[in-house]
Amino acid sequence: MMSLNSKELEESKEITRRAFLKIISGLGLTGLMAGGLSGCVPKQTGEITPPLLAKSKMWPENVVGRIPIDPDNPSIVRYDEKCILCGQCIQACQETQSVYGFYNLPVVDETICINCGQCTLVCPTGAISERDDTRKVLKALADPDKFVVVQTAPATRVALGEEFGMPAGAWVMGQQVAALRRLGFDAVLDTNFTADLTIMEEATELIKRIKGEIDKPLPQFTSCSPGWIKFCEYFYPELLPHMSSCKSPQQMFGALAKTYYAKNKNIPPEKFVSVSIMPCTAKKFEAKRPEMNDSGLCLGKPALRDVDIVLTTRELARLLKQRNIDLNKLPKENYDPLMGESTGGAIIFGATGGVMEAAVRTAYFFVTGQQPPASLFNLTPVRGLSGIKEAQVDIPGAGTVKVAICHGMANGRKVLEKVKQGQSPWHFIEFMACPGGCLGGGGQPRTTALPSDEIRTKRLNSLYQADARWQRRESHENPEVVALYHKFLEHPMSELAEKLLHTEYVSRADKLNRTAVAAARSWKLRVVK
Amino acid sequence: MAKAVLVDITKCVGCGGCTVACKLYNELTWEEKEPQLGEKANLCANNWTVVQKFAVDTPETGVWRYIKRQCMHCLEPACESACFTHSFVKTKEGAVIYKPTELKQDFCVGCRYCMIACPFDIPKFEWDKALPFVRKCRFCNDRLKAGEPPACVSVCPTGALKFGEREELLVEARQRISASPHYVKDIYGEKEYGGTSWLYLSDVPFEKIGLKTTAFEKPVSKEPIPLYSWNVLKWTPYIFVGWGAVLTALHYYTKRRVEVHEEEMYEAVETKEDIKQ
Ligand code: SF4
Ligand code: SF4
Ligand code: SF4
Ligand code: SF4
Repeated sequence: MMSLNSKELEESKEITRRAFLKIISGLGLTGLMAGGLSGCVPKQTGEITPPLLAKSKMWPENVVGRIPIDPDNPSIVRYDEKCILCGQCIQACQETQSVYGFYNLPVVDETICINCGQCTLVCPTGAISERDDTRKVLKALADPDKFVVVQTAPATRVALGEEFGMPAGAWVMGQQVAALRRLGFDAVLDTNFTADLTIMEEATELIKRIKGEIDKPLPQFTSCSPGWIKFCEYFYPELLPHMSSCKSPQQMFGALAKTYYAKNKNIPPEKFVSVSIMPCTAKKFEAKRPEMNDSGLCLGKPALRDVDIVLTTRELARLLKQRNIDLNKLPKENYDPLMGESTGGAIIFGATGGVMEAAVRTAYFFVTGQQPPASLFNLTPVRGLSGIKEAQVDIPGAGTVKVAICHGMANGRKVLEKVKQGQSPWHFIEFMACPGGCLGGGGQPRTTALPSDEIRTKRLNSLYQADARWQRRESHENPEVVALYHKFLEHPMSELAEKLLHTEYVSRADKLNRTAVAAARSWKLRVVK
Repeated sequence: MAKAVLVDITKCVGCGGCTVACKLYNELTWEEKEPQLGEKANLCANNWTVVQKFAVDTPETGVWRYIKRQCMHCLEPACESACFTHSFVKTKEGAVIYKPTELKQDFCVGCRYCMIACPFDIPKFEWDKALPFVRKCRFCNDRLKAGEPPACVSVCPTGALKFGEREELLVEARQRISASPHYVKDIYGEKEYGGTSWLYLSDVPFEKIGLKTTAFEKPVSKEPIPLYSWNVLKWTPYIFVGWGAVLTALHYYTKRRVEVHEEEMYEAVETKEDIKQ
C-alpha cells in the first residue's frame, strides 16, 4: 500500500495543475515540462497527514435526517436542494402521525405515506411542498371547450386570507368565491353542500348500524379524511368494516358534478373539468384512487374521473397572486346555485369534532323526528384541540350514543388499539388525520413559526362562530340537499346513492412488511430530538 | 485502525438523506439532470453518492430495494495503482483520497486511467470544466481523521449505514447474517477485488441491485487489481526518462478528448479490462 510522508509532502514544491498547465500552455516547452514534472512526483513512503479541509459552509449545525418521499408521490414533492436534514419531517411523520418508524423494514414496494402533508407544514426551508397542479387548472380554464367547476372545502375559507396578510382565521368565504370567479371558473360551488349530504348518508348509516339493520360493526368510523383512511388501510385493515362507506365530501361532490349537475345544466360530462380547492394534500391522492370514477361508471364512460384536479389552499393563493388578484380588495360573492348551499353543520366539518357534532344533530332528528335540544348546537365536549375527546348524547329511541373524536394519527392509533382490543365503549368515532382537523390540513397556508395551536384555535373559532350565526344549522335542512334527494337520489342510501356516494376500502397491510427481517426491527427506536 | 461502513440494504428506506448530506458537506452542486435518488440516479462529478432504486423480483412478490453507492474505498485500490502520477492514496484510516483536491498536491494529468482501472466505475471526470479534476467520494476524510463518521452515515435515520472498524463490522455482519435466514450469505466487499472499506449486506442477490458479481462471465476477482497488469504502472514515471514528452502529448490529448463523445471512452474501458483479464 502506498502512502505519503508528510514531511516530504510539505517540502515538495507546491505546483498545482492549474498553475502548471498555465505555464506550459504559455511556453509550450516539452523539455521544461519533462524536467519539471518528473522531479515533482513525491516518493510514496511513510504516513500521510493531509491538511484538513475547512468545514463545509453548507453543512448545517444540527443534522438529523429525513423521511423518505417517493418521487412519484401524488401529494407531496421534495426539492433536495433546499433540504437541510433538520429532521422536522421525521418528527411530524413519526410523532404526530405515527407513520414513519411504525412499519418494518425492508421496504416492500411502496414508500409508506398517508399523504397528509404535515411534513410540508413543518419543513423550515419549504423543501417539502404540495405537488403543484396549478398548471393543469390554468390549462383547463384557458380551454373554451371546457366547463370548469370548482368546489371549496369548509376549511379553506378560514385560512386563505392568511396568504393575503389577513389575521389567522379571517372569514373569507365570499372573497374566495369572487376570486375563483375572477380566475374564470364557470361555476363556483361548495364542498359544504356535499358535507351536508355526507351527514345525511353517514347519520343514516350510523342509525342502521345501531339498530342492527345492516350487518356492520360498531363503532362506526368517519370517512372524510383520506389520510386517515389510508392510515387505517395500512395499519388496521382488520378494522375497515367499521369505516363508514360514505365517500368524503370532495368525492361525493365529484360524483354528483358530472351526473346531477351536468344533467341539470345540460352540459356533456366529457366537457366537464371538476376542480377542488382543499386544505389537504391527501385529497390529491384520494381523487386519484382508481375506484373514484363512479360518475364515469354511471355514464358508461369509466375513463372519467369524479374529481379531475385538486388544488391546496396554498396553490390557490399562488394562482391568485400570479394573476394579481388581491383577496383584500374583492367583494363578497355567493356560491352558484344547485350545489352551493350549506348549513352550519357543514361549516364545522373543517374543525376536529365538527363532523361528529353535525352528525349527532341530524341523527337526533332522524331518530326522533324532532329538533335537537340546544345543547347539541354547542356540544362543547367534542370541541377544542385536545387530542382525544369523548361525549355521550341521549337520543330518545336510540339510547345513549357514545362518541369519540381524535385528530393526528398518533392519537388515532391509541383509539384504534382500544377498538382492536374490544375495549371501545363508543358507537361513533371521528378520525381526522391532521391536528385540528381540516383547518390544520397539510395544504393550508404555512405559518412563519411551526404550526401551532394558537393559529389552529383562531381558525377553529372562526368556523364555530360562523356556525353560530348561520340561519340553518342542521344538514338535513339544506334546501339544495333536500332537492337533490327529491329530484335525483330519492333517499339516503338509495340504490343510486350507494352507487355514487359510497365506496369500499382496501387493505394495504401487504405494503408494510409485517414479518420483517428480525435484525431490521430495531430501527423504530431511533430517538427524535 | 481502518474504518469502514456497513451498508445493510434491508434497512434502507430510500430517503436519500445520505446523498443530501454528501452534497452539503462536500459543497457539491445540484443539477436537475443528475438525480441522486431513484432508478435514474448515477454517480457523476457532482454526485459522489447516489441511492439507486431497483425493482427486484422475489419468489413471492416484487420488491423495491434501495442501494447507496459511492466509492468502495478498496483496501488495495486499482485507481491508486493505475495512476502514474500517484494522485490517489489509501490513508491509514481507510479513505482512498485524490490528492489534487484533498491535499492540493496536483500532478494529475487527466489521463483518466483511474476511471478505467476502477472495477466499480467510481471516479468521474469534470467533463464540463476547462481544467478538470477527477472526482469521487472522499470518505469524508477530515471527519474520518477526527474520528467522526462520514457525513452520509451521520444522517441515516434507519441505521442502514453503520460506521466502525472494518474488523468489527465484519463480525457484526456475520452475526446479522446468521441471525436471519433472509440475508444473502455473503458480505459484499469482504473479499471482492481484494476487499473494500464499504461493505454490503443484502436480502436479494447482489447483482440484482447493481453490485458486480461477475466480470466477463467469471465471478469477480477476490484478488486486488493491483496484482494484475496495472502493477507495472506504479513504476512508470520513474522508469521512463522521456516521460515529459509523453505527458505533454497526453495533456493535449486530454484536452481534445474532453470534447469527444462519451461512448468512445467506454470503448477504451472495455479494451483495457479485456487486457487485464
Ligand atoms: S423538514 Fe424539510 S429540511 Fe428538514 S429534513 Fe425534512 S425535508 Fe429536509
Ligand atoms: S472503488 Fe474505484 S475509485 Fe474507489 S478506491 Fe476502489 S478502485 Fe479506487
Ligand atoms: S463518505 Fe463523505 S464523500 Fe463519501 S459519500 Fe459519504 S458523505 Fe460523500
Ligand atoms: S440515509 Fe440511510 S435510509 Fe436514507 S437513503 Fe441513505 S442509506 Fe438509505
